[in-house]
Amino acid sequence: MLRFLVRRLILLVPVLLGILIITFALARMIPGDPCTIALGEHATQAVCDKYLDRMGLNDPLPTQFLRYMSSLVRGDLGNSIRTNETVTSIVLLRMPMTIELTIFALLFATIVGVPMGILAALRRNSFVDVVTMALANVGVSMPVFFLGLLLAYLFALVLKGTPFWLPPSARLTSGLSTVPLMETFNLTNLRGFPLTLVTFFSNMVVFNSLISGNWKVFGDSLRHLILPSITVGTIPLAIIARMTRSSLVDVLGLDYIRTSRAKGLKERLVVFRHAFRNALLPITTIVGLQLGSLLGGAILTETIFGLPGMGTVLVTSIFARDYPVIQASVVLIALIFVVVNLLVDISYGYLDPRIRLQ
Amino acid sequence: MKRRIFLPFVITLLILSMILSACAPAATKAPAAATEAPAVPTEAPAVPTEAPAVPTKAAELQPWTAKYNLSAPDCAYGGELKSIEAVDQYTVKFTLCNSDPAFLSKVAFPAFGIQSADYLVKTGGTGDLLSTPLGSGPYMLKEWVRGDHITLVPNPNYWGPAPMNKELIIRWNKEAAARLLEIQAGTADAIDTPSPDDFEKIMADPTLNLMPRKGLNIFYLGMNTAMKPFDNELVRQAVAMAIDKKRIVDNYYPNGSLPAEQFVPPSMLPGYVEGYKWYDYDPEGAKKLLAEAGFPDGFETTLGYRDVVRVYLPLPGKVAQEIQSQLAQVGIKVTIAPMESGAYLASVAAGEQYLFMNGWGADYPDPSNFYDFHFTGASKSFGDPFPDVVDAIRAAAYNSDTAQRTQLYGKVAELIKLHAPMVPIAHGTNAIVYKASVLNPEASPLQDEQFQYMSVPGQDQFVQIQAGEPISMYCSDETDGETFRACFQIFDFLYWYKPGTTELVPSAAESYTVNDDLTEWTFKLRQNNKFSDGTPMDSNDVVQTFVVQWDATNPLHVGNTGVFEYFGGYFSKMLNAPE
Amino acid sequence: MGIEIEDAKIGSKQVPSNVWLEALHHLLEKRSAVVGLFILGALTIVALLAPIIATYDPIEILRDAKRNTPPCIHLLGCPEDQPEHYFGIDGNSRDFFSRVIYGARLSLLIGIVTIAFSSVVGTLLGAVSGFVGGWTDNIIMRIMDVMLAFPYLLLAIAVVAVLGPGLINALVSIAIVEIPAFARIARSSVISVKEMDFVTADRALGVSPVRTLFRRILPNALTPLIVQGTLGIGTVIISVASLSFLGLGAQPPTAEWGIMLSEERNNIFNAPHLLFIPGFLITLTVLAFNLLGDGLRDALDPRLNR
Repeated sequence: MLRFLVRRLILLVPVLLGILIITFALARMIPGDPCTIALGEHATQAVCDKYLDRMGLNDPLPTQFLRYMSSLVRGDLGNSIRTNETVTSIVLLRMPMTIELTIFALLFATIVGVPMGILAALRRNSFVDVVTMALANVGVSMPVFFLGLLLAYLFALVLKGTPFWLPPSARLTSGLSTVPLMETFNLTNLRGFPLTLVTFFSNMVVFNSLISGNWKVFGDSLRHLILPSITVGTIPLAIIARMTRSSLVDVLGLDYIRTSRAKGLKERLVVFRHAFRNALLPITTIVGLQLGSLLGGAILTETIFGLPGMGTVLVTSIFARDYPVIQASVVLIALIFVVVNLLVDISYGYLDPRIRLQ
Repeated sequence: MKRRIFLPFVITLLILSMILSACAPAATKAPAAATEAPAVPTEAPAVPTEAPAVPTKAAELQPWTAKYNLSAPDCAYGGELKSIEAVDQYTVKFTLCNSDPAFLSKVAFPAFGIQSADYLVKTGGTGDLLSTPLGSGPYMLKEWVRGDHITLVPNPNYWGPAPMNKELIIRWNKEAAARLLEIQAGTADAIDTPSPDDFEKIMADPTLNLMPRKGLNIFYLGMNTAMKPFDNELVRQAVAMAIDKKRIVDNYYPNGSLPAEQFVPPSMLPGYVEGYKWYDYDPEGAKKLLAEAGFPDGFETTLGYRDVVRVYLPLPGKVAQEIQSQLAQVGIKVTIAPMESGAYLASVAAGEQYLFMNGWGADYPDPSNFYDFHFTGASKSFGDPFPDVVDAIRAAAYNSDTAQRTQLYGKVAELIKLHAPMVPIAHGTNAIVYKASVLNPEASPLQDEQFQYMSVPGQDQFVQIQAGEPISMYCSDETDGETFRACFQIFDFLYWYKPGTTELVPSAAESYTVNDDLTEWTFKLRQNNKFSDGTPMDSNDVVQTFVVQWDATNPLHVGNTGVFEYFGGYFSKMLNAPE
Repeated sequence: MGIEIEDAKIGSKQVPSNVWLEALHHLLEKRSAVVGLFILGALTIVALLAPIIATYDPIEILRDAKRNTPPCIHLLGCPEDQPEHYFGIDGNSRDFFSRVIYGARLSLLIGIVTIAFSSVVGTLLGAVSGFVGGWTDNIIMRIMDVMLAFPYLLLAIAVVAVLGPGLINALVSIAIVEIPAFARIARSSVISVKEMDFVTADRALGVSPVRTLFRRILPNALTPLIVQGTLGIGTVIISVASLSFLGLGAQPPTAEWGIMLSEERNNIFNAPHLLFIPGFLITLTVLAFNLLGDGLRDALDPRLNR
């Protein structure tokens, strides 16, 4: 087991390096520069030359790359060219939002998708099966941005004035906000990594309001997350539902299930005790692998619903040529993706002894 | 995979990175707080305005001295300012190198909000200055949750009337439809720049109040005289006749927008001169001119633009296709070549475009703001400037007599029509939408609405949604309109605009005097001005506000980008600027 | 090319003799796949007959039409003196119906061309990688891993940002991003087949490795590739539409469904049909490909009990 783990971890290193190089190269290859973007029509050559010199952006690319790598090794992600904030503070502020959205979308997809799949598998080829699978197919075919627009239109405008109304954008209603965890729990003496960690969790609005007992904000934040979660989670939901169904159908056709039925076991026990546990393996794998789809969907969805997450930061910084922020966002998102895939691989190896012993 | 191969590989990588960190050149830009523990985001700081180093008691005991006065040795450095001095504790005098009739408008601009000299020193001219500002305006910053919203609360030490609302919340959303959705849903009290296609709908809605803003802008179709066939004046004149401006304005601009006859809009006096009109829409005449120029069958070219909504161009993609279709009618086959915003602007500025769509919004209400940048050589987009045009513009800009200026600008309009480096198409209006229940709504022609006078009965807060997020709160080093809308609420200015107009009224200064040839401007400040943390404001603060921008070698000349674009644009040059 | 099996009688059913015909037979038995085929058939006909069906030129600006006019269908009661526009006029004074029809043609073309490119390049890479093994395999797979490390849309956006906006660039970008999926499938199929007896036999007989690769191994790997290809077309269509939506794909005045959605995005209040129609059609097209792909997967899978 340990050898398996170490082997997979070592394979991670060249991949990470590749990600860094590609991100750096891609970011610099985009035409235009931060100065011209910032000044717009009012930009002149002379002004921008000076500006770029100051930022070190007129140096040869390899020099810039080495400089970037060296600061990265020291833990310094640089400063945003546009707003002069540290990239670390931007990430600490925005990443929790994207993670919250992803978690809720995944929860939605799993909590609705798995039962849907089970239902369809148990009532195979019946009307219920056909309908659920048809819905799943439609869900997987709809472009995320279209779904988001539809939902926003439906819930914010058409249902205006009804109790079903949902807010069309933003994370919290204007005027509400959370109190940082440092203040709530009197943790004013933290420095360094513990401070980073607490700040990170403090910026997860749902988590923060939950453990602070701030119920008004808690409810409000959940309400604002409903539409975005549904939008982002619909495609993974459809995939999970289909996977659950096919996996369960496969398992239900196996001999030992027939045996347990022949033994006279209650159907419910057969399904949930015996069949489902074995069907769980590919399901968990799929759930983990949906992360890529979720992150991509999050980027589009955050723009539609005006949520202050990593996705909006990425799009804005691409358009503003804010290289430090582009590099940091892309690398971090890819890193999360790689780590989750690794965890899924490892758990797959753990759950299925056949893989481990390869 | 053999473990043995990868272990040394990994070790090599580690050693390599250690070598890199030791040898690589240090970053040229030293950020303010780079490797510290990551900053707690400016979510809910305690009252952000810390008392500056100098305690107020001590200041009262010492006799007042002018600390920051600066004079240029002579006017040879090329800029407009000769000296800025604090004559006494409440009097500031600006001496200029040339006559400037627009000086008062220039200082009434968000970039010249009065900063606290002590706070500038404390922050080093950057860092906290950008995120936790200290101003003497009607509001102060309570919290700025990046990406989400800004909350402003009334400044208890403001000299003027307290704001009518207890909390001003500024939010943003790029999509006009999303902003409209919010105000219809009731979650916003005011939204900026609705889509022109929605104007009718908004006007028909009794719960909403649409207030149009006069358009101090120009949208034009530019031609690069350095590129064939636009080096031929007849060709340019032909294009000038081939554009049906009325159709464009009627179809793609909101009500109130005007087809453009000159480069400056009608309200920009004395730059706009009655009686000078552009060529009539005359496709037949255009074809004749093209034949005369040697293109009886027309020619092919590309039209560049960026798909970004601006006041002067609310529907870029649609207008580009319209222009393509209009030029096709006289035989000019245009390929539309949209570019990404940054790449496009760089390309235009470098003079690489053939035919291009662009525009300009007024920074201050004087024609020199429009003409000087475009036609005197600062911009390469049209190719080389025309000497006769340059002379006429310069003569008009620095003349103090209004009647003479009008005459001179008439000449400029005539020459530009003759040479036709561009075709003026439209002066766009846009609007701001308020809930019908808002009291004292205002539409500012310069898009700086003063929300302190507004309120909604029955609620303490006022929520405004604009199109983009502000970049920083140090207005002096920013250029973005969305930034100005927010930061100017926190600062005070020597003079400012009466709400809804372009008329200037006293603000931080009670009065001013100017000499006959408009080169010496003296302002008398209000005597009880204070910053939001209680420290008093006097002439030293005003002088320092300008000096840190003017003197390129000043240690506080840092800001966000260090460019101080508007200072450079308004006063030509900085002192001691590196070559 | 197929493996011949003898006519057999199973029960009273006559089983066709060719593997491909057999697969087709199973495909047609599945209802959802038939639905998918129907939809695709209809779309293909529309796409092929676009110049005939469309009533106007899709990119021509109609000088006399008012922007955002609602649909006018004479059969459904619209007065005769008004010009007939089945789907109304869009925001640029063009006939919307014609744009939608030509959009169908473009979407199908986009999907097929892009997948054709990705599948060929990806399969070759994966097959070579799996067949040759060793360091070549290692390097190619590492590169694929790095590409797969980026979330799909993110990488596509990044590549297009570099190449510049435009439909061709968007297609190139998506084609590149699709390659790793095909490479992986081809590689794993090749690896599993590589050790089989008939390959060893070929080697013993002295057949050149390239011939073995193309004549023996790849045909057996075809099944998952076909399925991936069909499903991939749907993904490609959505991705190109997403890129166009973000302003990075098709450029005006092209009649492509994604950009049509993007252009009219702010008209959601005054002319919602301009949004719903292209959105619905994208969903329908992708759905059809997904249903077909699922059906193919089941039909071509020899393991399922028949």
